[in-house]
Amino acid sequence: MQPIAFGPRVMFEIPILDGIPVTETVVNTWLIMLVLVVLAILGTRTLQLIPKGRQNVAEAVVEVLNNLTRQTMGDDKTGFAPYMGTLFLILIFMNLLGLLGLRPPTADLNTTLALAVITFCMIHYFGARSKGTGTYLKGFAEPFVLLLPMNIMGELATPISLSFRLFGNIVGGLIVLTLAYNGLTSLSTSLGLSAFPILQGGIPVVLHLYFDVFAGVLQSFIFVMLTMVFISIAMD
Amino acid sequence: MDQSINARAIILAASAIGVGFAMIAGIGPGIGQGYAAGKGAEAVSMNPKSGKQVTMIMLLGAAVAETSGILALVVALIMLYANPLVGFTTGTIVVAASAIGAGLAMIAGIGPGVGQGYAAGKGTETVGKRPALQGPIIRTMFLGQAVAQTTGIYALIIALVLLFANPLIRLL
Repeated sequence: MQPIAFGPRVMFEIPILDGIPVTETVVNTWLIMLVLVVLAILGTRTLQLIPKGRQNVAEAVVEVLNNLTRQTMGDDKTGFAPYMGTLFLILIFMNLLGLLGLRPPTADLNTTLALAVITFCMIHYFGARSKGTGTYLKGFAEPFVLLLPMNIMGELATPISLSFRLFGNIVGGLIVLTLAYNGLTSLSTSLGLSAFPILQGGIPVVLHLYFDVFAGVLQSFIFVMLTMVFISIAMD
Repeated sequence: MDQSINARAIILAASAIGVGFAMIAGIGPGIGQGYAAGKGAEAVSMNPKSGKQVTMIMLLGAAVAETSGILALVVALIMLYANPLVGFTTGTIVVAASAIGAGLAMIAGIGPGVGQGYAAGKGTETVGKRPALQGPIIRTMFLGQAVAQTTGIYALIIALVLLFANPLIRLL
């Protein structure tokens, strides 16, 4: 039996520095970037005072994201809405990419860890800026100095748990779906249906519904919410 | 030749044990979802008008509580149908122990299962009492459940590392 590979495939190599491999993750992220940029241009072209058509949809999306940020972080931190909204949109698109039969970029630890490191930097940059660097750094030695290593460990655990939570959930779904498709393929081949693989047509819908739609949207929401909560706790 | 067949048999046997161990994690979601279901029944009896909302929160919360059971199933299915450890011919005992260890790691799923189920139950109960606050309740419940999931995800990562990128085999 040939073991099934679950890692991202290398699509092509950039022929400099011994060849830089470009994986499926990167190519699919480019695709999502393209779609989001095109949607943003289409949604904001020829803006009018009284919106209609596409502008209505764009305004509704922006309003929902603004409200989510305001409710979670407080009125004084509405300025974070553009970043949080972008994060939410790109995560939703990434997690739902499995519905098109493409590999979700979030099933790669590189993607989720990069996003979590951005969150980590934001937590500490904005924390230090709003409290003053000295006061902020002193906060790590509270309630008393001996707890300093514990506090630093706790801070470092934040990006790790944030990235692994998203990665683990999405890669779990990816593995289940890959195994299900493989199993259904061999089942329909053994039934003599290899020309009409109807078994793969309907049955995985239930799995896609749970792993891609439910878990995907929920995990995007949770990643954005935790980012917002951590930043606003560090600032207050 | 004979040696390699023996090695293969040992790794397969260890994988079988590992698969069994992994599924013990099912205890967690079982208890947790049962608690959520009990709270759902209680909430409906208190306030029958909020029945639909209560059922929805109960199902959503229970679906999240199911996660660690599913992650255990993922590890078990990998070991059954796409076992990456079978190919190894050296260090049989380390490979076999890794298969068992990957299964044992997933037992950690009991914790998140019970904890998330408890959160789902409490969410269900409070929505039954105050249906108007459904939005904030569901948001807090999901956030808390996501944090409760963390150790289960760590267990999954360790299990996947043992299966796909085992550093111990390279140390041999």
